[in-house]
Amino acid sequence: MLEIFKNKIDKPSPSNELISSQTFLTRKKHFRDTEEWKLKKRRIISKLKIMSKFNLALVLSRLPTIDKLPDKVLMNIFSYLPSQQMLRARQVCKRWKRVVDNPALWKFVSFRQNYGGLVVANLDYFLGLIGSRFCELKITELATDLITPSVLHEMANRCLKLQYLTLDFSTAMQLHDFTDLQSFPSRLKGLTLCLSENIFLEGFLRKVYTFISSVEILHIVGTYEKVEDEEEEVYETVNVHKLKQYLPNLRVVNLWGVPFITDEHVEALSSNCAYLECLCVNYCEKVTGSCLKLLLQRCKKLRTLFLAHAKLDNATIQSIEWQNTKVEELDIKGTEVSADTIISILTRLPNLRWLDASWLENFNDSVLEAWMASGTASNIQYLNLDTCDSLNENCLSEFVMRHGHQLRGLNLGGHHKLLEYFWINMIPQMRNINVLVMGIAEDCCPKVTAKIHVDQFIDCIAGNCPRLARLEIRWDDDTLRFSDKSSKFIDVMRLKCLKLHSMVLSDGQYYELVRSNFERADRMSVVRTTEMCRTGLLNCSRYYNQLLFN
Amino acid sequence: MADAKKGMIKISSSDNEVYSVERDVIRLSTTINTLLQDLGMDGDGVETENADPIPLQNVNSAILKKVIGWCQYHKDDPVPAEDSDSREKRTDDIPSWDVEFLKVDQGTLFELILAANYLDIKGLLEVTCKTVANMIRGKTVEDIRRTFNIKNDFTPEEEEQIRKENAWCED
Repeated sequence: MLEIFKNKIDKPSPSNELISSQTFLTRKKHFRDTEEWKLKKRRIISKLKIMSKFNLALVLSRLPTIDKLPDKVLMNIFSYLPSQQMLRARQVCKRWKRVVDNPALWKFVSFRQNYGGLVVANLDYFLGLIGSRFCELKITELATDLITPSVLHEMANRCLKLQYLTLDFSTAMQLHDFTDLQSFPSRLKGLTLCLSENIFLEGFLRKVYTFISSVEILHIVGTYEKVEDEEEEVYETVNVHKLKQYLPNLRVVNLWGVPFITDEHVEALSSNCAYLECLCVNYCEKVTGSCLKLLLQRCKKLRTLFLAHAKLDNATIQSIEWQNTKVEELDIKGTEVSADTIISILTRLPNLRWLDASWLENFNDSVLEAWMASGTASNIQYLNLDTCDSLNENCLSEFVMRHGHQLRGLNLGGHHKLLEYFWINMIPQMRNINVLVMGIAEDCCPKVTAKIHVDQFIDCIAGNCPRLARLEIRWDDDTLRFSDKSSKFIDVMRLKCLKLHSMVLSDGQYYELVRSNFERADRMSVVRTTEMCRTGLLNCSRYYNQLLFN
Repeated sequence: MADAKKGMIKISSSDNEVYSVERDVIRLSTTINTLLQDLGMDGDGVETENADPIPLQNVNSAILKKVIGWCQYHKDDPVPAEDSDSREKRTDDIPSWDVEFLKVDQGTLFELILAANYLDIKGLLEVTCKTVANMIRGKTVEDIRRTFNIKNDFTPEEEEQIRKENAWCED
């Protein structure tokens, strides 16, 4: 058998062989050139062919192939594929083409090429498809060049199930002419506008306002960039006052990083949106919180407030009657609120279940003590205290001893004081934990000098946290102590924490060790580095699925 | 023990193997669950031990054994939420136990899908379909055909036509 293969492999280079055989093998005919061999070879090959065919037939007769699956199941399978892959699947065979072309499989299609969407090369053909293949479209995203009167007209008339529309103007140089725009999808539940820095959308929106009163979820995505060295002029490219006037049914409003948003805008929104449940003004640097008093009075259903990195004013925030609100989720990450302010909020929100108070210099022991003493921490499930340096180990220990059992998510990363002793004692208190972040990265000063025996942690987690889904350990190789035996501990955790689907570690030898351990068990893409990935609690918010984050 | 016995349901495979399964386990099969309710075998205290086994014509014993194993492991799972608003569905979230469980040859995998479909076991159908989707993901047309042993039944003209159709969008 080996001979045959060798022979085959040699064949592709006949020129060399020819020369050599002529020079060396002229006297005695080589065995392989004999008629006898050729016959034998032919017989063996045909025998092999028959054998394999026979085997295949035998296997096929006993086991079903993908052909045996009914269309319904095939559709179910295809529903997990991205659009590009579906276009490839329809080239496989007639049956697949027929199944793939079912409009029910094209409910979510993105046409934003910067975000992995399809790139439309032939606009006319695309227009034709809107009425056929895309007639069941429910969620779609359009980039600037596709936001034209004809596309919107087709979608308005053909895609009667369209509920979520994203219009991405962020790459716009110039808008299309919308004077002829007579129709627009009118059953939308969600509308997302990605703004450009300097293109005013009022001309377009004026044509659209009357169609969008059903919208409950509004996202306006700004062009926030961290570089603030230039004092560029900020253009108010959408008219918030007009928007709120035409959108009385808003439940979720996300204005993440829209540079021109002020308290006045938010207040205006609240005047016409009694159903508001979730507001996000993260990174809206002009918002001081003066809008919140009225907002919370008017919007009685408001449960979730994202105020990260806003310029919150202490006196204003303290004057809010938090005790009369229904706020359950609060994000005040990276704000400069004082300890008194934090206390005044936390001790008056008995229903708080989700809190992001990370990067707060003033979140100190007295805040935590006051919170515990007030009894309002009894519903907290997700708590992010990342890099709240002022907190001390004793106080945190007491908190975890008291509330650890109720915690689903805890982020205590960036605390250099929390070491082995703390975690080994605290992990057993958190039997319901889903998400856990610990450790401090090397570039954060002060440097951790103590060593962390990571195997103990892993063992402790395996023994106590059966529900753990995501884990992040930020200490690097210089701090972590591990050995060849570490893999055994990881084996145990892999088998005990079966829900674990994300483990983020500092890049280095320990990361390599854990990753290869998981990959040997065929668990790809579970282990990642802190450079690629950060573990957050954001997706534990009730509105995560309705919020869009860039 | 007596309590546990009360809730046992008997089912038989296409090759007439009879299995006794806890009521709580077989509940995951909507087909059997509805059947039991329709037959009035659902209430407490109903004698099920001596009843005739429920015949499952379309599932052989090897597959049925595996299906029962899956249900046994997942009997306490929360009922999956019907998320109709989902965007692109994820396929990288198959639980590790299921990944291990589904390390089988293609034929068995498809038999499991057929059984999950017939018995209407949503969770099992979901993970098996995701597994097949992952086998398709990232492959070229030719690779897909080879992986699943699918014959290309297009004529060259038809193939050209599809290529043209697909050309409205750049791949």
